[in-house]
Amino acid sequence: MPDNWSYVFAAYGVAAVVLLAYWRRLAVRAKNLAARRPRRSV
Amino acid sequence: MGIRALGWLAVLALIGGLGTAFGYAPREVVQGNVQRIMYLHVPAVLTAYLAFGLVFLGSVGYLLTRRPGWDRLAMAAAEPGVIFTGITIASGSIWGKPTWGTWWTWDARLTSTAVLFLVYVGYLMLRGMIDEPDRRARAAAVVGILGAANIPIVHFSVKWWRALHQPATILGPEPSPIAAPILLTLLVNWIAFTLLLLYLLAKRTEIARLEDMHAG
Repeated sequence: MPDNWSYVFAAYGVAAVVLLAYWRRLAVRAKNLAARRPRRSV
Repeated sequence: MGIRALGWLAVLALIGGLGTAFGYAPREVVQGNVQRIMYLHVPAVLTAYLAFGLVFLGSVGYLLTRRPGWDRLAMAAAEPGVIFTGITIASGSIWGKPTWGTWWTWDARLTSTAVLFLVYVGYLMLRGMIDEPDRRARAAAVVGILGAANIPIVHFSVKWWRALHQPATILGPEPSPIAAPILLTLLVNWIAFTLLLLYLLAKRTEIARLEDMHAG
């Protein structure tokens, strides 16, 4: 059977993009939250 | 251990996993190198099972105690669970094209995995639709508990129905027939994915805690 390296790289590439995008989304949210002050009840 | 340190540990483990998948594991005799997709596909689905098991645990914990920490655990596990299930479906589909000759077939394992994915996408959508925290947590907990029933259906689908997908070669009743280097590579990648899940879980839980604090 041929090696089909393009499929191998596509599978790992998709996984890397998805995981990096999720990690980046979490990092941005954490950074934004850290910059905000907690709401104080008056 | 801090969240950052856990993240670095996960990165190192993932690098080790890639090293074993591409440098240590042999070329599979029948499938050729396309079989290396399995070092992504199998650990991804096992990690998704673990994540959805944590959603179940958090959901039961919340309904029993009404403590928001359990709800945060369930929510924080659901997101990476959906992501790992998505990776499982995508990598399986990419592997299927050169191996089975098709991107998708309505086989019992593939269909039940797609249902699992959609159930937890629905779980996250439900959470987004309810503003009141206790009502949201209760409704999500019910879905989180019912959704977990799909995990054994996915796992045993290849036994219960005639399927194109191969039967379980790890986590099966008999000793695994897989060659030792392939099994070891799967194990290394499984550990790496589990560490990544723990990191994402810790990070997402911390964000949810900060969000609750800001919401008052």
